[in-house]
Amino acid sequence: MEENSNNQKAYLYDNTKCIGCRACQVACKQWKNLPAEKTEFFGGPGYQNPAKLSSSTFTLIKYHEEVEEDKLKDWVFFKEQCRHCLEPACVSACLVKALEKTPEGPVIYHENLCMGCRYCMISCPFDIPKFQYHKVIPLIQKCNYCYDRLEEGLLPACSQTCPSGAIKFGTRGELIEEARERIFKNPDRYVNHIYGEHEVGGTSTLCISSVPLEKFGVRDVGTTPIPSYSKQFLTAVPVVIIGAATFCTALYWIAKRREAVAEAENKTEIKEE
Amino acid sequence: MASLAATYGRGAMTNHWGDIANSDCVIVIGSNPAENHPLSFKHVARAKDKGAKLIVIDPRFTRTASLADIYAPLRSGTDIAFINSIINYALANNLVNQDYVLTHTNASFLINPDFDITDGIFGELKDGKYSKATWGLQKNTDGTIKKDPTLADPACVYQQMKKYFARYDFETVSKITGTSVETLKKVADTICATHEPDKAAVIMYAMGTTQHTVGTQNIRTYAILQTLLGNIGVAGGGIDAMRGESNVQGSTDFGLLFHIIPGYLKCPAVEHVDLKTYLEKCTPKTADKQSANWWGNYPKYITSLLKAFWGDNATAENDYAFNYLPKTGGGYSHIAIFEAMEKGTIKGCLLLGQNPAVGGPNANIERKALGNLDWLVAVDLWETDTSVFWKRPGTNPADIKTEVFLLPAASSVEKEGSVSNSSRWAQWRYAAVTPPGEAKSDLWIISQLYKKLKESYNSGGKFPEPIVKLSWNFGGEEPDPNLVAKEVNGYFLADVDFPDKGKSFKKGDLVPGFAFLKDNGSTSCGCWIYCASYVNEGNMMARRKRSDPAKDTIGLNPEWAWCWPVNRRIIYNRASCDAQGNPYAPQKPVVKFNWETGKWAGDVPDGPWPPLKKQDGTNNPEGKYSFIMTAEGHACLFADLADGPFPEHYEPLESPVSNLMSKQQNNPAIKIWRKDEIGKSEQYPIVATTYRVSEHWQAGAMSRNLPWLAELMPNAFVEISNELAVEKGINNGDKVKISTIRGAIDIYALVTSRLKPFQLNGSTIHEVGIIWHFGYAGLVTGPSANELTPHVGDANTMIPEYKAFLCNIEKAIGV
Ligand code: SF4
Ligand code: SF4
Repeated sequence: MEENSNNQKAYLYDNTKCIGCRACQVACKQWKNLPAEKTEFFGGPGYQNPAKLSSSTFTLIKYHEEVEEDKLKDWVFFKEQCRHCLEPACVSACLVKALEKTPEGPVIYHENLCMGCRYCMISCPFDIPKFQYHKVIPLIQKCNYCYDRLEEGLLPACSQTCPSGAIKFGTRGELIEEARERIFKNPDRYVNHIYGEHEVGGTSTLCISSVPLEKFGVRDVGTTPIPSYSKQFLTAVPVVIIGAATFCTALYWIAKRREAVAEAENKTEIKEE
Repeated sequence: MASLAATYGRGAMTNHWGDIANSDCVIVIGSNPAENHPLSFKHVARAKDKGAKLIVIDPRFTRTASLADIYAPLRSGTDIAFINSIINYALANNLVNQDYVLTHTNASFLINPDFDITDGIFGELKDGKYSKATWGLQKNTDGTIKKDPTLADPACVYQQMKKYFARYDFETVSKITGTSVETLKKVADTICATHEPDKAAVIMYAMGTTQHTVGTQNIRTYAILQTLLGNIGVAGGGIDAMRGESNVQGSTDFGLLFHIIPGYLKCPAVEHVDLKTYLEKCTPKTADKQSANWWGNYPKYITSLLKAFWGDNATAENDYAFNYLPKTGGGYSHIAIFEAMEKGTIKGCLLLGQNPAVGGPNANIERKALGNLDWLVAVDLWETDTSVFWKRPGTNPADIKTEVFLLPAASSVEKEGSVSNSSRWAQWRYAAVTPPGEAKSDLWIISQLYKKLKESYNSGGKFPEPIVKLSWNFGGEEPDPNLVAKEVNGYFLADVDFPDKGKSFKKGDLVPGFAFLKDNGSTSCGCWIYCASYVNEGNMMARRKRSDPAKDTIGLNPEWAWCWPVNRRIIYNRASCDAQGNPYAPQKPVVKFNWETGKWAGDVPDGPWPPLKKQDGTNNPEGKYSFIMTAEGHACLFADLADGPFPEHYEPLESPVSNLMSKQQNNPAIKIWRKDEIGKSEQYPIVATTYRVSEHWQAGAMSRNLPWLAELMPNAFVEISNELAVEKGINNGDKVKISTIRGAIDIYALVTSRLKPFQLNGSTIHEVGIIWHFGYAGLVTGPSANELTPHVGDANTMIPEYKAFLCNIEKAIGV
């Protein structure tokens, strides 16, 4: 997987270059023709709006004021979206192959195959896929890395529009090298970690950051690919196909619980600021 | 802009967007490029990648500050004190580019020995007007300026500056700005490091600088600092005036401001009884043979402009129709117009893409003033707050007599034409789609208006000639923008020979550059600085060629679109070289003199003349000074402005503290319109400023009507510090009432650690920031910050003081 993954398409999001302008967020809605949500004031810290990802918001800039001893140290941003995992839990969880990990990297969705079971939603360690509850025939919605644009040789809408160079789209292997180099050259600027290099077995979105991503409520998901749990399980009990989904579901509960805890912690943190 | 013109001769960004990447130090003050000019940040990021330092000076920790190496907070309205302290540091520690200062500036000029500042006043002042009697320069008998090249004479500009700026030490300034001495010093060290000849800093400023009663002098401090450091005309240097809208540069170039007509020619005034008088007043003279004094060509530019306006009807006999031009008899600034509207002296108003009901200062007054008009025409993409002022909340439409017309306009992607960006690049664009519904291009609207007016005047009226004799040859019903652009560029109206240049042209040829314009009626030109933009070879503005970075090392991209003047990408570029034509920064040369060819290589040089000194170091009588747009050919460290030759700190009209520098509290040269509307700090103790965000655009018509942008920022809000929030019992997301002496609004509070109270001379002063994009029309609405701002403007430009005023803030009741 690692070998082949190096050739996959990916982006490197460097939040020390991000200006939190949200051109990416708007470009995403524009390309996908997604409706605006009704918001009031702000949905999260700083200028965050809407409050969270939804069936009409596939990417979201989150804001965080880094305060030390009552002094503002920095104002930092994080771009939330589907990570396009190398071994996506959502793909494993889907019984009808409505979700597919393409060899190019993007994890895409075939709506005609989807039966609306929402196993993908509950399996995703990052809580990404969303369901159109309000529709008669609801579909799963999430970022597909603008697969249609990639096929035409274009960059994803967000990467294309980013004015500051915070998003760099390219080949995963090369981007990891570049991320390493950026951290090496400016060790004071970054947390010494390339998010997405190893998380859940690696993802096709990479992020380097000046603060730990936990500050944005991104939880530590470990480095083991979620489907590998079910694979081990499958090898042991090969006939119990359904079990895979069930297992992923179980994982979800564990993950959700952790998230709830993290969220609660996060809330106190914001208050304390 | 007035300030840049007074210092250097041209009021425009000296460098260009892409050139920011060549900088060693990017200074952001009075602006917030990451939020309000996000694309410019691409170039800042490139500079940072190469090791440049980013300094952000702002009352709020903005999204730009989030990427800064040094963030320096300052209280709104104290830029002069802040930058003067850095100028003082540079002068006191000799951190200036000596060779540059001597060669390219008026540092060695001797000033009238009586020049001084007493109690914050520069000599004689009457009714807010300086006599300027002591501001003159000493002259030799032949009329040239007395100079001391050793810079030792106490009367020379340099010594006068040392004395003047010494008053601005870090300790005193810290008490005014609220910036710590430590931070001031850190900023000063980082900026002054660029006094090294091969280093450059750039200043990026915008409305946070200009929208003050001392706006022009704010920019003067930047100009003086940058000039001392040798940062003007060089790659990665300059003063980058970032324009707030995509074509503001273009509209300024074409005379949008009330005191100028196209090409920065002066608006004729009543005392200019004929062309001769006007030319005598407006054409600068010099006795120094080495000064090119380019503005000495003034007669050619105005005559060619008059020929463009009135064609064959402009003749030598009728002064080229000079008297068809309207003459100003007073101020026509934004504030003055609305005051006149309120008094009922202005009866009608045509607004193109303007929304003063949200964007104007003291907006409630301006909304009321609109109701005194007989008619109002709004040309816009949307129903703006201004066009529906008659049904705004709290008004009864039946009480308003104004007849309002809304003309739907085509947007920028629905029409062809040029747009001039802050870099002075005129970029040609094509229509991508046809306008929706009945929307029409501005050209169509103006053309129809003209034709109807002409029809009416044909059947009589007072003084019909200026209208009926106008030359109007732009094609059919939908005017051809190419024809307009060609008229702007200018034509030869007769066969003309230039034996000295070895060139001759036929009648009907397009003029290849303003050096070919004539003052005898044989050329036309709608805007002399745009001459060479549309030539016989084609439309230069439509070019889209990027240059090879290996050859074009500083990224001038000369074949991308076209820029004024004559495609010169960095103006004053001969100042990037010493007196012998060698670049101060050999690793990033803008121009360099080639003694073999006798020509400058690189960017289009700011004047073709050879350097001031020959290769052997002797004087070169052929040489000309580098700042060709000032009469004396030098950058003016000492300059002639309405409110003083050096920038002096005065408090904003409304301020919570007294001026620590002198007894003179406010800029003595400003006009105060409403004396009873000046808030006092006892009642309104908090400093307020207004600002824009990336998510919205100006008065909001273009963004508050777009659902995706409305989603990001659906409400108006005020940013307040944690400290103030605690003091007032306000929580994040609460509605608060902000009041000034002019009005009050209820608005959401965003409580943030990005704002901190200032410690000023022992007292704690709070500052809050209000976004001003909101109004009552559109998809998302909210109170306008400008209901709070004062009707007072800068002493030179009359730009309103939006950026510093006094307010009070309380938790709102019953919301
Ligand atoms: S982040 Fe979630 S939705 Fe995206 S690929 Fe990974 S598992 Fe699937
Ligand atoms: S467009 Fe780029 S700079 Fe702007 S918020 Fe998105 S990632 Fe950050």
